[in-house]
Amino acid sequence: MSAWSGDAGRRLGPRDRLLMIAVFAILFWAVVYPNLVVLLGSLRGEEGFTLRHYAAFLGTASELRALWSSFWISALTVLLSALIGVPLALLFARYEFPGRRLLGALAAMPVLLPPLVGVIAILFLYGESGIATRLVQDILGLESPPWRLRGSGAILAVHAYSMYVYFYLFTLAGLARFDPAVFEAAASLGAGRFRTFARVTVPLLTPTLAGAALLTFMTSMASFSAPYVLGGGFRVMTTQIFNSKLQGETGMAMVETVMLAAVSLLVLWPLARWEGAREYVSPGKGTAPLRVPVKSRWAAIGVPAVAGAGVLLLVLPHLTLLLVSLVPDGSWTVQTLPPRYSLENYAQLFAEARTFRPILNSLFMAGGATIIAVVVAIVVGRLVVSWRVPGRRLLEGMLALPWALPGTVLAIALATTFSVNQPWVGRFVMVGTASILVMAYTLRVLPLTGRAVLAGFRQLDPSLEEAAASLGAGRWRTLRRITVPGLLPAIAAGASLAFVTGLGEFVASIVLYTHRTRPISIEILSQLRDFDLGAAAAYGVLLMVLVAGAFGLGQRWIQGQRVETG
Amino acid sequence: MMRRLALTVPLIASLWVSGCSEPGSVLTVYSPHGRDQLELFKEAFERANPGAEVQWVDMGSQEVLDRIRSERANPQADVWYGGTEELFGRAAAEGLLEPYRPRWADSVLPEARGPNDLYFGVYLTPAVITFNSDAVAREEAPQDWDDVLDSRWEGSVLVRDPMPSGTMRMIFQMIMYRGLEATGDTAAGYEWLRRLDAQTKEYVLNPAILYQKLARQEGLLTLWNLPDVLRVQAQGFPLDYIVPTSGTPVSVDAIAVVNGAESRELAEAFIEFVGSVEGQLLAVRSAYRNPTRTDLPIDSLPDWLIRVNQELRPMELDWDLLEARGREWMRYWDANIRGGG
Repeated sequence: MSAWSGDAGRRLGPRDRLLMIAVFAILFWAVVYPNLVVLLGSLRGEEGFTLRHYAAFLGTASELRALWSSFWISALTVLLSALIGVPLALLFARYEFPGRRLLGALAAMPVLLPPLVGVIAILFLYGESGIATRLVQDILGLESPPWRLRGSGAILAVHAYSMYVYFYLFTLAGLARFDPAVFEAAASLGAGRFRTFARVTVPLLTPTLAGAALLTFMTSMASFSAPYVLGGGFRVMTTQIFNSKLQGETGMAMVETVMLAAVSLLVLWPLARWEGAREYVSPGKGTAPLRVPVKSRWAAIGVPAVAGAGVLLLVLPHLTLLLVSLVPDGSWTVQTLPPRYSLENYAQLFAEARTFRPILNSLFMAGGATIIAVVVAIVVGRLVVSWRVPGRRLLEGMLALPWALPGTVLAIALATTFSVNQPWVGRFVMVGTASILVMAYTLRVLPLTGRAVLAGFRQLDPSLEEAAASLGAGRWRTLRRITVPGLLPAIAAGASLAFVTGLGEFVASIVLYTHRTRPISIEILSQLRDFDLGAAAAYGVLLMVLVAGAFGLGQRWIQGQRVETG
Repeated sequence: MMRRLALTVPLIASLWVSGCSEPGSVLTVYSPHGRDQLELFKEAFERANPGAEVQWVDMGSQEVLDRIRSERANPQADVWYGGTEELFGRAAAEGLLEPYRPRWADSVLPEARGPNDLYFGVYLTPAVITFNSDAVAREEAPQDWDDVLDSRWEGSVLVRDPMPSGTMRMIFQMIMYRGLEATGDTAAGYEWLRRLDAQTKEYVLNPAILYQKLARQEGLLTLWNLPDVLRVQAQGFPLDYIVPTSGTPVSVDAIAVVNGAESRELAEAFIEFVGSVEGQLLAVRSAYRNPTRTDLPIDSLPDWLIRVNQELRPMELDWDLLEARGREWMRYWDANIRGGG
């Protein structure tokens, strides 16, 4: 580290100390405290302190099986996602072929399908009377459907579909940082293709892959929509928690919550260490990696064809959603494709005033959460990276902790903690208000903005801030004119991901929403309940467009900034 | 960019805040009755009470109970409209309801009056056997509960996920109660449910998907409540029902003021409206509900209702017992029977 930051460590004035303590306190109150309340709750019965709930949990075979299922489903999800995402990224990063840019962008499409909407779309496509299922059945002339979208297999398929994107995007980003000289060096030293891959590419990609594995594992442990909709009799921890709470068995729900969080933390810890321990510094200067044009004639046709077919498979759910949104209710029964199309679902959607409320709610709550999460991330980034305050590892840990806690866990922790009014221990009545949803969203997206902004800080050249300071710029001015503009690409990346996550949020919302604060995903669920499949699909399309808009805006912003600063 | 953002954010914020009306004129209703019926009652009630605005949230009745329980410290709902006596009884025992005796209290069936005026029944909701009428002829369909276990229906029964559903809980608990009455033990009931589980192709997330799957012949049979079947039938779906010959549980669909309701006066006005002659006839004619009022003139009732009432053989159930043990049975079923345990 440069001398500058060492100096900054010593320069910590009383006001900075106050800021540091405030940040510690706020993060502890928001991130750690609610989980402690749940932990205590799991140990409390009518008779006082008790291990009764734990005994009941450990004594019930189906509970243990659910916990085990959560674990192995998540582990397999990681494996499958890596098997899809990494080769796809290698293909798009290393080879040049017609349509590469378009197909490469389309390969990230599953990001645009928010959890619940995605599951529903897949149900319409591959469900027992789904389009693809009936098509295969008709073509092969089968008596019964060729497959059943149910149980663990279905959950795994949906997980792999929606989560391979983490591996894809992370690997692409990792490969982009490579210096092509490394490969040339390996080749000139006589290493073959396989050897280069095994000894150069894989080790260099290790931190990236560990990061993607971490994100995938946590998302999968926390996944609720897929098992909720497709699970049938198959149990995982998140659905067990939901059911226990529904039954009013609060103690059991809390034990299940604690167990799920404990298993997640047990996995998070070694993975995070692995990710951190293998930080390779690429000596390059960021030269654009070379893409190999495909040479042979077969490959020239084959590669784009394979890539195109793969990508088509990936956008089928989006197309299905669009199709269903054009079908009038009740008109589609045993046919493979809908017999009639109309725009009536959209007409109905735009005619009803109550349609727009959830959209405004989601925009506002996701926007608020994103802003708060970015500000917190910037402050923590400053404390951790620039000032290197004592306890910085703890601060970083708290920023990442919500990752280890599945959405259901987080929501229940917040609902439990903030349903009583005890200001002297930091508990206020927040249930039933929008603030608890904003808080939940903020916590859920904090790891995203935190990760992006911290990485941004680490890449920031400290000499710029030094120069500004030596030219007489005050702290605030330096922050506003130098630090934040330098961080903008990182902020935009984190913020757009956070905003998109907030827009489609379902898992925590279903525990915390009220009529006044219901977000888009809940409105879709209620339309599904209402039997308005077409309207639900139309709503889903609307959400997809919003998410695409936010994502596109973020990407453009990142690129725009790069052009200006670069 | 920043400037544009700085302008947009307060704009959206003000829009959002202005959307929140002040308490007192807004009535929030939690209900499993579905959009069609709720919109109907919202419009009728708002017409009768100018200035009032009804907001409804639609969810399973078990979910209503859970939600009211978790919102106890800051109640969001004013009225709970719809759900079985088991659930209302539990809510009453937990102090989640506030007593209110509507003017029509003496006009409804005696069994529709909850203890201490905490809740009152407004509709009678029978459970029926439901089948796809395109694929199954009426006379071939199961005529009684036990016929559903016949081997020819193996793999063609669909069941709505019973945990959040008041209707399914009532049916399951009827089975348990029946077994308990006959043998004095829970084993008989569990065995029946185990056999039903073996027949069951799938537990379905919510009623909408259930109807859809039935219509698309992913399954041919289900157990469900009559008003919903009639409503869906009227929408053109190929569904029909059988009233089981040995009798069927009839739940008293109740209504109550939520303890700590913000708009208490409106809540009371809404309950008065739902149980009034006008409100009951509205539900009968437009939402296929079976009224609990005994003083409705018979010539104002539609034919389907008269026919149903002739066919119906209500099964006597001990609701206190169901309330006391229902949860335990459901928990056992979920842990040990669902999906073969």
